[in-house]
Amino acid sequence: MSAYFARRFLLILPTFLGVTMMVFAVTRFVPGGPVERMIAEAQSMQGDQVRDSGKVGQAALSEEQIQDLKEYYGLDKPVLVGYVLWLKKILVLDLGISTRYNEPVWDLIKGRFPISIFYGTVTMVLTYMICIPLGILKAIKHKTVIDNISSIFVFVGYAIPNYVVGILMLVLFASYWEIFPMGGFTSENFDELSRFGQMLDILHHAVLPLTAYMAGSFAVMTFLMKNSLMDNLAADYVRTAIAKGNDFRGAVLKHALRNSLIPIATHFGNNVSMILMGSFLVETIFNINGFGLLGFDSIVERDYPVVMGILVISSLLFLVGNILSDICVAVVDPRVQFK
Amino acid sequence: MTTLPLDPLTRKKIHRFRSIKRGYYSAIFLAAAILLSFGAELFVNSRALIVRYEGRFHFPTYGSILPGTTFGLDYRYETKYRELKRKFKAEGRGNWVLLPPAPYNAYENDLTEGIYPPTAPDAGSGHWLGTDSTGRDVLARLVYGFRTAIVFSILLLLCNYTIGVTIGCAMGYFGGKFDLFFQRIIEIWANVPFLYIIIIVASIMIPNFFTLMMIMLFFGWIQMTWYMRTATYKQKSREYVLAARAMGASDPYIIFQHIIPNTISIIVTFMPFSISSGVVVLTSLDYLGFGLPAPTPSWGELLRQGTSNLDALWIVSSVVVSMILLLTMVTFVGEAVREAFDPKKHTVYE
Repeated sequence: MSAYFARRFLLILPTFLGVTMMVFAVTRFVPGGPVERMIAEAQSMQGDQVRDSGKVGQAALSEEQIQDLKEYYGLDKPVLVGYVLWLKKILVLDLGISTRYNEPVWDLIKGRFPISIFYGTVTMVLTYMICIPLGILKAIKHKTVIDNISSIFVFVGYAIPNYVVGILMLVLFASYWEIFPMGGFTSENFDELSRFGQMLDILHHAVLPLTAYMAGSFAVMTFLMKNSLMDNLAADYVRTAIAKGNDFRGAVLKHALRNSLIPIATHFGNNVSMILMGSFLVETIFNINGFGLLGFDSIVERDYPVVMGILVISSLLFLVGNILSDICVAVVDPRVQFK
Repeated sequence: MTTLPLDPLTRKKIHRFRSIKRGYYSAIFLAAAILLSFGAELFVNSRALIVRYEGRFHFPTYGSILPGTTFGLDYRYETKYRELKRKFKAEGRGNWVLLPPAPYNAYENDLTEGIYPPTAPDAGSGHWLGTDSTGRDVLARLVYGFRTAIVFSILLLLCNYTIGVTIGCAMGYFGGKFDLFFQRIIEIWANVPFLYIIIIVASIMIPNFFTLMMIMLFFGWIQMTWYMRTATYKQKSREYVLAARAMGASDPYIIFQHIIPNTISIIVTFMPFSISSGVVVLTSLDYLGFGLPAPTPSWGELLRQGTSNLDALWIVSSVVVSMILLLTMVTFVGEAVREAFDPKKHTVYE
């Protein structure tokens, strides 16, 4: 078993290389990188000067300056060489410098961690806290009123993407009824509030985004719980437990439930990347300065060092998360043998 | 139903599908909506359905534009039928115009002086769902956007499945180095954040319908490939394949006559979910502004307008309600199809 997981960990490497190389190549072939932007800026600046002095200017930047700039951003080398150089820097944990903010990429990313982790963990905890009991209830009360009514919500939640849920709630609760704020993480007068007031303020801002985040994973998790519990309830060992006179409640909670949690465990590893990455669409809608919004903004602004930095972190988290899921399954279910 | 030469198993599946009411009715409703959307020009259009002028009938809906001079007007560009209708009515000379129920197309800006769009729904003006921020009819954009999205998803699904079934089958059937190679490719593809790539690509070139589909196809084929690989792998180890091979059947014969018919349930089961995910991805891209080029009517673009004009509740609510209806019904169909192919009977304790 440990040999299997060792191999899985080794296989992270080629996948990681493939993913980063692909995105690196795409960012290289795209025009509008940092150098082009600087040329454009210099041109507009010179344009003002020309108007002031009445002289006709030459090209905004000389060939030499452009060359220097390209060298500075490492754009003067062919793609593969550039990639290897970038990789070497990654190995010493240097993610480079943002072309937009001129700050180290790592500092930018680090600044977004608290918000992302807050939303990620709260979403995860709430999802488990609601989905597992709801799934159990739906399994036991299969085809009753409770089951059917909750099914409608779960189905709608499953069908529509979570950012649409976000938009809907934003329109209803923030814009129309004005119960919750339109977005952001804290109010403007956050520093003036008391400790308790600050907590309330964060919660007040968090209700809508959290619901939107949950809408996605909520449905899948509830159905997973319900279906696996129903499969187990139909199994012989539960029938035996009931036949020998166990009460139904005991049979469900003691026997069936434990085995039904196994599929839930397979999902657990994915939380690692979910916690950090969230959904950039939800973050865009509610204007939450998390990880996802940083990634989206840097793509739009063509700040490729940040894009690559986020890609490194997210793909590693995702790959490790997948393996973690398998480990979870192996730990929970002794029948599973990985070879 | 009886005229079709269906084998009893298929007939049983169809029967089972029809017995799941919400899935069955959703399927009928969706099929009708899709079919009707192909004739959307007859329901939502700025061109009139029938014009009766000087004893002659004109049917302007399809075909080339009819200049205003056709109806005795003094301009050579396309006739404004809504004005024509008012004019004919005022004249009262027996000429008449029959307009579609929603007499606007998805592109025209219906602006009235002194009123700033978006305007609220108003049956009198024919804007059943109001207008958007540039005065275009929301209903028209919703209907034509639906047609674009659904055609897009269906075409994307066909392409994805063709590639997926071919490569997936080959991977599962031939195994070996071919399988290993594509496994690595798939692993890499699955980890590339494909929305990022699409946004990067879309930010340099404005994609049209087909380039957008190509980009999505580039990432979309892996899911079906992976499922088909597993399914083929399972079928291949079954005795009937061994028997066929022992009798001297060739590889293509086994694949097309035995394996694909036996994996069809997987293909069919995933179809509804692929359609809804196609619609969702297209809508998200349009919402972010990286989808279809600007004046194309699309749900994502309406969503975007809705979120930037939060006071214009009719924009956001009409598109959100349509999305909920469409996607929920597609999910109902998908669930019923799955149930029909793979019925799960549960023991229930009283």
